[in-house]
Amino acid sequence: MLSMHNISKVFRTDLVQTHALRDFSLEVAAGEFVAVTGPSGSGKTTFLNIAGLLENFDGGSYRLDGVDVAGLSDSALARLRNEKIGFIFQSFNLIPDLNLFDNVDVPLRYRGFSAAERKQRIEEALEKVGLGARMKHLPSQLSGGQQQRAAIARALAGSPRFLLADEPTGNLDSLMARQVMELLEQLHEEGTTIVMVTHDAELARRAPRNIHVLDGAVSDLHVVGTPSLRAATV
Amino acid sequence: MSEIGPILRALLRNKTSALLIAGQCALTLAIVVNALFIIVARQELMQRPTGLDGENIVYVQSMGFTRDFRPEAVIREDLDLLRRLPGVVAASPINAIPLSGGGSSRGYSKEENTESEGIGAAYYELDEQGQKALGLNLTAGRWFRPEDVQALPENTDQYPYQAVISQAMARKLYGEDAPLGKRLYFQNGQRSVAIIGVVEHLPSAWVHAENFPYSVVYPRITTEKFIRYALRTEPGRRDELMPVVEQALRKANAGRIIRLRTQSEASARSYRGDKAMNIILASVSGLIVVITALGIVGLATFSVRRRTRQIGTRRALGASQWQVLRYFLVENWLLTTIGVLLGSGLAVALNLYLVETYSLERLNLWYLPAAAVLLWLLGWAAVYAPARRASRISPATATRNI
Ligand SMILES: Nc1ncnc2c1ncn2[C@@H]1O[C@H](COP(=O)(O)OP(=O)(O)OP(=O)(O)O)[C@@H](O)[C@H]1O
Ligand SMILES: [Mg+2]
Repeated sequence: MLSMHNISKVFRTDLVQTHALRDFSLEVAAGEFVAVTGPSGSGKTTFLNIAGLLENFDGGSYRLDGVDVAGLSDSALARLRNEKIGFIFQSFNLIPDLNLFDNVDVPLRYRGFSAAERKQRIEEALEKVGLGARMKHLPSQLSGGQQQRAAIARALAGSPRFLLADEPTGNLDSLMARQVMELLEQLHEEGTTIVMVTHDAELARRAPRNIHVLDGAVSDLHVVGTPSLRAATV
Repeated sequence: MSEIGPILRALLRNKTSALLIAGQCALTLAIVVNALFIIVARQELMQRPTGLDGENIVYVQSMGFTRDFRPEAVIREDLDLLRRLPGVVAASPINAIPLSGGGSSRGYSKEENTESEGIGAAYYELDEQGQKALGLNLTAGRWFRPEDVQALPENTDQYPYQAVISQAMARKLYGEDAPLGKRLYFQNGQRSVAIIGVVEHLPSAWVHAENFPYSVVYPRITTEKFIRYALRTEPGRRDELMPVVEQALRKANAGRIIRLRTQSEASARSYRGDKAMNIILASVSGLIVVITALGIVGLATFSVRRRTRQIGTRRALGASQWQVLRYFLVENWLLTTIGVLLGSGLAVALNLYLVETYSLERLNLWYLPAAAVLLWLLGWAAVYAPARRASRISPATATRNI
């Protein structure tokens, strides 16, 4: 599903070069649920951005669903993002001027679905996250947890094979965080591949597979929920 | 375009800035359409055909001041001299300068002994070379022969027997009937002359008067101390000949003051106000258009900056650069279209007000779609740079905290 080999990413500013990722290698199989942890600045978001085709990389190779993404045009990348990937952001990133229906509609329009199909998918997705009755509400009229569930509805309405979440519960209290986690678990059970970055060790433990990122590389591929890892991520 | 619905709904959530731009577009359209309409009408007024060889006509005014000044003899000598100057095509005495704002007019009618004032028309006095001196185009009948021309002092009861009239005058009086041989009555229909010729155009002296195209020419020379000649030079030689003419006349007879004036000068003077008004209107319209364009640029720049994260999110969700660019073009098109609809109503209202208060012409409604197209293009030109910048926002903006 996702296959990264020796990915490197360097951010250059006038004064400094930051090696955000170096020799980053990771395989994620279809249907996995992977939680990514690591200290701040270790490169988690950079990894997720590259995985989600939001950012390019400087070295190494990356195949997504069998497609070598190096050298693809900007519009080809946009199409891949639209069809294969669903994004969930820490701060939800709902469009404030659009109601929930129109928000979930955004990626579906880029996909070019018919109006009827869009409507059906939007309603299904919002029902699934428990917001079927709030379709005409604006994001500002919802709680944080509801907003994040709406964002999840938007991410899954196009039936992507791959969900990427960057600290999806980072802005939520623990009750709402648990609801969101349960939703992700349910999606995972239905067959969606999920990669989730989180600072919350407890949530990370609930994922079947954990990886730990340190200084731009995967530090531990196998050990799950060891005391040392928990200490590092809390 | 499939995105109109959500774009419009998003716009309606930001009514103030949307209305600001749409309102500015509406006002711009209303003002610019009316200004352009007035400008074009004035331009048309200034470009009416005159029938004169405008660029090559010079008027010479001679004011005799000596006691023994004998106008009739002086006129004979002057005409002789002028007609022999190399480069002069023709010369004739003339009583008034067309389009100059100063001249004589009189009421004419086609009936004898009428109570009515008749049609006001300019009257000119020219001799046998008058047609050539002004470059007039004769469309029917004939011009005056030397034996038709009468030299008379100002205050006399005698009138010539014939007249040439302008075509507009002929049509006004007789409609489709042939004017040749008809009699033209004046002084309440108590006097008359025979129409022997028609010229295509010969305008009166008053460019803003309704009787601008109506004129009557008599074969007559007024013998007074104030004399005026019209003379036509070979094409392009007017300016070079003017000092020569002045010198020659002064030398021939020193007992007078000589002044020269070109037809172009006289016409330009009459239209000076129109021209100035057109320049003012055009400048103000241009300024309004520029201000509106800057307003659109400003608001679009602001809204792109405000929506940076949203644009990044759209890119992350699969929008191509072109789709982001198109979003802003469509949004701008919606705003200008609202502006066009409001502005068209406003333009017509403003025009009706001007029609009522200043008796302007009714607006030609073709101006509205033309202005709409211009406003759309203006909007796109203004929004293009900010929209282009928006399309280059990185999709990674969605996850990075800014
Ligand atoms: N656009 C950028 N320009 C320059 N440096 C950057 C940029 N984005 C990230 N970095 C640097 O790259 C490194 C990795 O950043 P990244 O955001 O991936 O960390 P992270 O693991 O997500 O951290 P956090 O847990 O705080 O979100 C950091 O040192 C960061 O300062
Ligand atoms: Mg991060």
